[in-house]
Amino acid sequence: MSAFLTYLVRRLVAAGVTLLGVILVMVLLVRALPGDPARIIAGLLATPEQVAQVRLSMGLDEPVPVQYWRYLVNLAHGSLGTSARFGTTVLSEIGHRLPYTIVLAVFGTLFGAVFGIALGVLAATHKGRWIDAFGSMLGVAGISMPVYWLGILLIVLFSVQLKLLPIGGAGSASSLVMPTLTLGVFSMAVVSRMTRSTMLDTLDQDYVRTVRAKGVVEWVAVRHALHNAFIPILTVIGLQFGTLLGGAVLTETVFSWPGIGQLLVQSINNRDFPLVQGIVFVFAAMFIVLNIITDLLYSVVDPRVRLYR
Amino acid sequence: MIGIFILCAFALAAIFAPLLTPYDPTAQDLASAFLPPSAAHPFGTDDLGQDILARIMYGGRYTLAIGAVAVSIAAIIGVPFGLISGYAGGATDMVIQRITDILLAFNPFLLALVLVAVFGVGIETVTVAAGIGVIPQFIRLARGQALSLREEVYVEAAVAFGESPPAILGRHVLRNALTPIIVYATLNVGVTVLVAAGLGFLGLGVQPPTPEWGTMLGTARGFIFKASYQMTFPGLAIFLAVLSFNLVGDGLRDAFDPSLRE
Amino acid sequence: MNSPHSAASRVLLVALSSVLAMGVAGYASGQGSAAMPAPSPDATLTIGIGVDLDTVDPAQQTTTTVQNVIDYGLQTLVAFDTQGKIKPLLATSWSTSQDGMTLTLHLRQGVKFHDGTPFNADAVVYSLDRLISGKIRVPIGAGFKSMKTIEAVNPTTVAIHLKHPDPNLVPNLSTTIASIFSPTSATKDGNSPERIVHPVGTGPYQFTRWNKGSEVVYTRFDGYWGEKPYYKTVDFKIIPEANSREAGLLAGQLDVIMNPPVTDLTSLSNNPAVKVLKAPSDRSVFIAINTAKPPFNNEKVRQALNYAVDKDAIIKNVMFNAVNPMDSAFPSSLSGYCKVGAYPYDPDKAKQLLSEAGVKNVKVTLGSSTGRYIQDIQFAQAISGYLRKVGIDANVRTMDWPSYVSTMQQKDGFDLHVLGWAPGALDGPTQLQMFTSATIPPKGLNTSFFSNPTVDKLASESALNLHDASRSEQLCQIQKEVWRQAPWIFLWSQTLILAYNSKITGVSYLPNEKFETMAAHPR
Repeated sequence: MSAFLTYLVRRLVAAGVTLLGVILVMVLLVRALPGDPARIIAGLLATPEQVAQVRLSMGLDEPVPVQYWRYLVNLAHGSLGTSARFGTTVLSEIGHRLPYTIVLAVFGTLFGAVFGIALGVLAATHKGRWIDAFGSMLGVAGISMPVYWLGILLIVLFSVQLKLLPIGGAGSASSLVMPTLTLGVFSMAVVSRMTRSTMLDTLDQDYVRTVRAKGVVEWVAVRHALHNAFIPILTVIGLQFGTLLGGAVLTETVFSWPGIGQLLVQSINNRDFPLVQGIVFVFAAMFIVLNIITDLLYSVVDPRVRLYR
Repeated sequence: MIGIFILCAFALAAIFAPLLTPYDPTAQDLASAFLPPSAAHPFGTDDLGQDILARIMYGGRYTLAIGAVAVSIAAIIGVPFGLISGYAGGATDMVIQRITDILLAFNPFLLALVLVAVFGVGIETVTVAAGIGVIPQFIRLARGQALSLREEVYVEAAVAFGESPPAILGRHVLRNALTPIIVYATLNVGVTVLVAAGLGFLGLGVQPPTPEWGTMLGTARGFIFKASYQMTFPGLAIFLAVLSFNLVGDGLRDAFDPSLRE
Repeated sequence: MNSPHSAASRVLLVALSSVLAMGVAGYASGQGSAAMPAPSPDATLTIGIGVDLDTVDPAQQTTTTVQNVIDYGLQTLVAFDTQGKIKPLLATSWSTSQDGMTLTLHLRQGVKFHDGTPFNADAVVYSLDRLISGKIRVPIGAGFKSMKTIEAVNPTTVAIHLKHPDPNLVPNLSTTIASIFSPTSATKDGNSPERIVHPVGTGPYQFTRWNKGSEVVYTRFDGYWGEKPYYKTVDFKIIPEANSREAGLLAGQLDVIMNPPVTDLTSLSNNPAVKVLKAPSDRSVFIAINTAKPPFNNEKVRQALNYAVDKDAIIKNVMFNAVNPMDSAFPSSLSGYCKVGAYPYDPDKAKQLLSEAGVKNVKVTLGSSTGRYIQDIQFAQAISGYLRKVGIDANVRTMDWPSYVSTMQQKDGFDLHVLGWAPGALDGPTQLQMFTSATIPPKGLNTSFFSNPTVDKLASESALNLHDASRSEQLCQIQKEVWRQAPWIFLWSQTLILAYNSKITGVSYLPNEKFETMAAHPR
């Protein structure tokens, strides 16, 4: 157990260092804004006094290390600063929107995992046959599909032509269908490609071949193989969840979905940099935490895996 | 094969666009706006009466150039760092790995979005922003290659002969790592094309009237009731271009280095 | 008081529309006056808006659509009627002292705020004092700077003491910024005196909830002092995408939508299930000419640009008749508007003026916003086409809005650029900010850098002139001078376009880019 703890601590320290780096990059970027950052953040109609106040409150007149330290101190007090556009805390703005993004990413991941694994297993067990070729095509098409185009195609088909689904917003359960599909297709493609290749590897291993040779029902062999292929698949799903958060920016914009992706685009268009910083920080933190959780899940799924050697 | 074919078709169309279409991609004709596909305009015209086929052909120049240049930037920056990281090991490796983690924690699209927000929209910013997002891929790849090649006999021999580390990295390690790097580069062109077009779609990429596919798609999105054909072709172009880079990348990988398979 | 900054614009597609030039009376409310039915116990009216709200604090908002939403719950002392005339609201009468230094208002009696607090002079003092206290940021509060102190003379009388006579204060008091809210609410429901997040006013509807990025809900206030509206609930759905709003309307999920895609106006108008209302508004849209840069420092060149563009063809083919051509430097809904004339399409005359000015084969940049004004990038490109025909090689340059705004404020920025401007209090002086030396950037947004002694003199005189007739005369002279000097390519005034389910009647609008559904009910 202590080995496990050491491993966990090491991972967490590395994650902390990464996050410190992410914050540093964001502070440097705001600093790099052409012209007067305070002027840009205060807005077009701001008086010189208001600009001065923004400069003061964001500490833009201080050297980078001081700004950086201030951001960290605020963070330690649970604050990500104040939104320039809303005037409220960055944390509360994100808090209002984050649940929508998480719902979308969870459904997208579920869709991608379920259909991706199914497709991958079918392709692997029918290697070289039409279903394998079809699966491979679907896989490469899925990773090549621009999510924003897929989104509009779905809208044209289901909302404009068939008038079946709401075109956007988060009003009802049915408004979740198209965004989930849009977001899920990419992960489905990645997961199915991964599942197929790892399944093929394990199906090829001696003990599985033995099982199959014994004339045991195909299903048992598949179950064996799937069990072994589970870890790489899990990794991909975990990584996908992070990628989905990025894809959510475009998907949420296409479907007017009120998550933090849409908020990020709006904040960029309004030059609300405190909020941009906050959202990027939250995205990065979620990505890092997910990676750790995925790694930890390995040992739960397969006790033979000892990450913390 | 299909991939190479499509890519060649796009490249030829982009290069010889002036010969292939009588239309200027930015010549507007308000009287013939919103024309559906016809013999005169095979892909129809857009909201300003510009010929969509001409815009797609000329637009290939921007899209393909952005993808290629962005990946080159990423490779030129990422590969040396990766090689050094893998070859030197120790503290150097640690530092470079942490920087890679930081870049990875932003995903490529998010990072590009933030960079464009800070440095302004435009073709140069978009290219660089799209490239920076895929740098970690090259660092990781080159590092892995350097790690494994470090143990190879010919590298050990070079060390024994007293060659300097930069010379060893350049002459021996890089040469042998070149194949997987090319495979990765091909696969990543698809990623950068998607990122750049995504920025264009949000209005934060290459600006109109430049016929960039993502920007065209973003504009066409406003007319899905009146003219849904308008968003078909730019989207299809992006999809096919990315698809062909992925197919070619997959093909190269299978041909040269099956060990890289996922 | 909407600068371009305040415009809809958080949205990528169609921004707020506006203005009018054909006379406000022409349109008014789309329907005849069917009798109002009794208030419904449960009916909901769903309105699709394109702007994501950033605040519901009346003093801190900057966007017409946000004002429109806030107006459902908060009221002002005076208001505009549908003809653009000032009418009483929470104040029943008012008078200005002989020296112009005091404005006295008599308040409506028997009015209660949604939280039960009585409406009186103290509440008025509290709300207005907030605008000049300096404790909060009032981004578009320049119109209230003439106020020195606000005094509660007695519970039903308020006196506003001024720093100098200000003929525009009364119209400014009609703007959402000057809304009166309950002083006791300022520390409840998450409110603080610095930031109102739950506005409590005297209006027919009370603010119920705001799901950020998604919807704002208002519920009928049963203690309302005036005529009660039919709908129990008004649900503003935030849908930035114009196509999405249109789809929602066609599918019956939305009853009323703001600004459907203009490209679909024809098909919507032909659809019997939908009514379209084009509301003339106060936003002029124009191409600002950088008069600080040769050859545009020559008025002949600027006039030539105006003759070179076929505005009628653009309005028909690019704008889908959603706008009204300008015939003066003021849109016709502003106080002090007078009709000046027209620059008809005449490319030969344009070429002649250009050759008289010795201008040949110039390359210029034409800056355009993307999606802030109706069809902006489209009409900018069309205009560049017309300019090329008279030998001016105009290249359209677009950028994201913040970069755009900072570029247009630089003298060496664009040669020409697209801009829209809407004085929310329907007052001439706010329009004048586009033409006076005192408002050249960085002090203001006169981004054509236009400076003319006649205009400056008349502008400062009219600002202090309490005599209506002679002030109108001064404003009219300014408009004639500006029209002749042509610091803009004068284009059109926008319209606010509403589309709504034809089963509903009584949807109307105000001349300052706002819609009104207090009288709406099923047909």
